Amino acid sequence: MLGKKTIKGRIGFALAIVLLVSFSLLPFAQILSTSLKHQYDWGNPSLIPQSINLDAYKELLGVTEPEQVEIPAAIQKILNNPKLSEDKKQAIAAKYTANDNLFPFGKYMLNSVIFSVGAASFSLVFSVMGAYSISRLRFKGQVVIQRSVLFVYMVGGVLLMVPLYQMAMNVGLASSLWGSAFCLFLIYIVQTLPVGMYMLGNYFRGIPFALEEAAMMDGCSRKEAIIKVVLPLSLPMLATVFIYCFIIGWNEYLFASVFLKQYPEFHTLPLALQELFVSKNAIWDRIMAASMLTLAPIVICFLFASRFMKGGKTDGGVKG
Amino acid sequence: MTPLERAEARFGWKLVAPTIVILGLLILYPLMYNVYLSFFDVQLNGSKIFVGLENYIKLLSNTDYYSAIATTSLYLFGTVVGTTLLGLAMALLLRDPFMGRGLVNAAIMLPYVAPVISVVFGWQFLFDPISGVVNYLFVDLLGLWSERSNLIGDPDSALWVVVLFDIWKHAPIAYLLILSKLVSISRDQYEAAAIDGYGPIGRFFHVTLPELYFVLATVVLLRLIWNLNRFEDVYLLAPNVETLPIFTYYQAFTGVIDQGLAAATSVIQLGVLSIFIWFYIKKIMKW
Repeated sequence: MLGKKTIKGRIGFALAIVLLVSFSLLPFAQILSTSLKHQYDWGNPSLIPQSINLDAYKELLGVTEPEQVEIPAAIQKILNNPKLSEDKKQAIAAKYTANDNLFPFGKYMLNSVIFSVGAASFSLVFSVMGAYSISRLRFKGQVVIQRSVLFVYMVGGVLLMVPLYQMAMNVGLASSLWGSAFCLFLIYIVQTLPVGMYMLGNYFRGIPFALEEAAMMDGCSRKEAIIKVVLPLSLPMLATVFIYCFIIGWNEYLFASVFLKQYPEFHTLPLALQELFVSKNAIWDRIMAASMLTLAPIVICFLFASRFMKGGKTDGGVKG
Repeated sequence: MTPLERAEARFGWKLVAPTIVILGLLILYPLMYNVYLSFFDVQLNGSKIFVGLENYIKLLSNTDYYSAIATTSLYLFGTVVGTTLLGLAMALLLRDPFMGRGLVNAAIMLPYVAPVISVVFGWQFLFDPISGVVNYLFVDLLGLWSERSNLIGDPDSALWVVVLFDIWKHAPIAYLLILSKLVSISRDQYEAAAIDGYGPIGRFFHVTLPELYFVLATVVLLRLIWNLNRFEDVYLLAPNVETLPIFTYYQAFTGVIDQGLAAATSVIQLGVLSIFIWFYIKKIMKW
C-alpha cells in the first residue's frame, strides 16, 4: 500500500512495523523484565535489569529450601512442658513453623493442567462426533442444530453464572469440593464444545466426500471410514482445536472463581494468581514470575499451532 | 426415505446426541432457568421466594444500573471503533509479503492468545503510579502531566485503560478477518482505478473500502457480541470499571448478595445480545 519502492516509503514501512510489534510485545517485555529485577530496580524505566534476580522463579518452582522459621521462646517453653501430649505438641509446633508465605505454584499449575487438558480432550471427542454429524450426514433437524450451536457459542459465561451456580446448588454439587470441581469440569467442556464443533465442521466440509466413498466401497463401514480416512486427514485441525480448547480452559477465570474460590487446594492458576495479587504476599517480582510461567505453556502451544494456521485461516477467528 | 437414508439419519443423531444433551442441559436450560430465577428473591444457598417483577423494578430504579449501562456503552464504542481501525491498519500494512512477516505475525497474535491473568499484571505495572513507564514517559520525559497519577485506580481513566487493553488484545483477530478479505481483492480493480486517475488514497476509498464493507460489518458485530459479555479483561485489570457483566457479578457473588437481581440483569442483557446475534445471523450468515 505504501510506496515501498522509494527509500522514504521503506523507512516509513519499517517504522510502522517496529511500532506495531513494540505495542504488541511491550507488556510481555515488562512482565519478563520485572520478574528478573531486584526490588531496588523496579522504578527504573529501563527494561533491562541491572542485575538478574532469579529468586522469584526459584521460589515458585520450589528450587530453594523453605526458610526455617524460629519457634518463639514462649512457645518453646510450652512445648517443653512434659504434661502436654505429643500430638498437641506437634500441632502447636506445626502451627508456628508453617510457612504461610509459600505460594504452591506447582500445585496450581497441576490443577490448571488437569482441568484444561481434561476438558479439552472430552470436548475434542464430542466435537468430532457432532461436527461430523452436522457437516456430513443428512437428517431432519440438522440445520436447527447447526444454528443453535452458533447461538450458544455466542452466549457469554456472564449470562450463565447465576443459573449454573443455582443449578449446582439445587442438585447439591456446589457445596462439596469434588462436586464443585466436577461442575467446573463440565462447564469447561460446555464452553469449548461449540468452538470445537464450529471449527471442525468447517474443516470437514472441505474434505472431499469421494475419499470416504472410496473407503466405503472398499468395504469399510461409515464409522471405519471416519476413523481411517477423515480423522487422519484432519490431524492438524484436530491438534489446533485441542490447543484452542486447552487455551480457553487455561485462561478461564470467571467460573473458577464462582465454584472454587473457597477451595484453595483446587485453585487454578488464574484464580491463584488473582488471590496472590490481592493478598499481603503480593510482590511484583513474584507475581511477574508467576505470570511468566502461566504464559509460557500458552506461548509454546501457540507457536506450535500457528504452524498449522498459516494462509490466513480464520476458522477460529470468530471467537474472542 | 430409503433404508440407507434412514440409517444415515440414525447415525447422525447418535453422533450429535452427546453434544445436544450437554449444550441443552448446560446452556439452553440455564438461560431459561435464569428467566425463572429473575422473578424470585434468590439466596446464595439456593432458597427462593417468589417476588414477581420486584427484581426488575428494583433494577430499573437503581442509578448504578444506568451508570453501568453508560460505562458499557462507552466501553463498546471505544473497543469496537479502536479494534476495527487498528485491525484495518494492520491488515493494510501487512498485506504484501516481506521478509520476516511470519515473525511479525506471531508477535502481533501473541496478545490475543495470552492468558488475561498474566498480561493484566504487565499492564498494571506499566500504569503503576510509582514504577510504571507510562507515568515516567508523560511526567518525567515529556512533561505533559504535572504529576504522577494512578490511572487504573481512578474509574474514569481506568475505563480508557481497559478500552486500550481490549484493543491491544483483540485487534489481531480483526486483523485476521480483514486480511483474509483484503488479499482476495484482485489487482485488476486497482489497475482499473489507477487508469481512471485515482491515486493511492482514491484507490483506498473507491476500491478497498467498498470491497471490505462486508467484512468490516462482520468485525463490528462480532466485537459487539463478544464485548457485551466481556468479564475477565475488565474485572482483572480494573475491577473498579463497572460494565454490566461486572455489575452483575458484584450483585451475584459479593457484598449484599442478590442473585435474583443479577438474574434480572442477565435476562435484559440476553435480550440485547440476541438482537446482535440476530443481526449477525441474518445479515452476515444470510440464513
